[in-house]
Amino acid sequence: MIKDEHYPDSHHDVYSKTVFGFWLYLLTDFMLFATIFAAYAVLSKNTFGGPTPKELFDLEYTTIQSVIFLLSTFTVGLAGVYTHRKQKWGAISFFLITFVLGLVFLMMEIKEFSHLIAVGSGWDKNAFASSFFTLVGMFLLHLVFALLWILVLLVPVFKSGISKISLRRLTCLKMFWQFMSIIWVFIYTFVYLLGIV
Amino acid sequence: MIDEHHGWNLSQKPLWIGFILSLILTLAAYRIVAHGHLTHITLVASIVGIGCALAVIQLIFFLHLGLEEKPRWNLMMFIFGVALILVLILGTLWIMSNLNYNVMPDMGH
Repeated sequence: MIKDEHYPDSHHDVYSKTVFGFWLYLLTDFMLFATIFAAYAVLSKNTFGGPTPKELFDLEYTTIQSVIFLLSTFTVGLAGVYTHRKQKWGAISFFLITFVLGLVFLMMEIKEFSHLIAVGSGWDKNAFASSFFTLVGMFLLHLVFALLWILVLLVPVFKSGISKISLRRLTCLKMFWQFMSIIWVFIYTFVYLLGIV
Repeated sequence: MIDEHHGWNLSQKPLWIGFILSLILTLAAYRIVAHGHLTHITLVASIVGIGCALAVIQLIFFLHLGLEEKPRWNLMMFIFGVALILVLILGTLWIMSNLNYNVMPDMGH
């Protein structure tokens, strides 16, 4: 086989192949969210006489949530740095901080959901509410699995340090969390901020 | 991102830059919505602009997009994905507003 000098194969080892494959998965996940965003954009005005986004959303509350999630993205990045440096306890502690921040975020969002249902904007009330709960609910589903994922991946690290396999898996987890952060930026911008103005 | 020993994976600096920039932009978006005296159209434009800037900053400083060696497969696949997403979202909005206009003319869309 002739080796092409100009385009070497940069995906030569398992690590880079896994990371690239996971990146492709994340792009498909972006597309999943894009379809739900499109549905929300079409349906968000149809409140059928119920409360509108402007009356429902609390700007301060959502901004605090955004800052918490941003902080968790930062700590998951630090956890990734410690993982790459093979510093076991640094990685474990920052992944656990990320876990706690993610859990706080999840609790705040569940509180907001129950508030929306209490004021008569549950998912069964109108098209806006249905598309809102589908979009943010899909985000929360990702978050729940990411939280479980952190716990599952930390067990082997805790037992026997950061192996090559753990490094690969934790890097994917880190990328997944940072992907969620970008999705949340779009939810904050297009659902909450544009809903309020 | 490609190489497990790549400098961006070992350095905390890009994380700090990305975090501080994102924090400033998030609070700026909050501030213009809460206390801004902008007209509606400038407000919407600034919010969307800040949102897109936030996404780009996080893609570069957190996910290290575009910083790999050639050939940049990650970047190429990402651009392809963005093109598909734009077709999907803009196409949906376009066709649905057309439908609204044509099918329900009395409802004042």
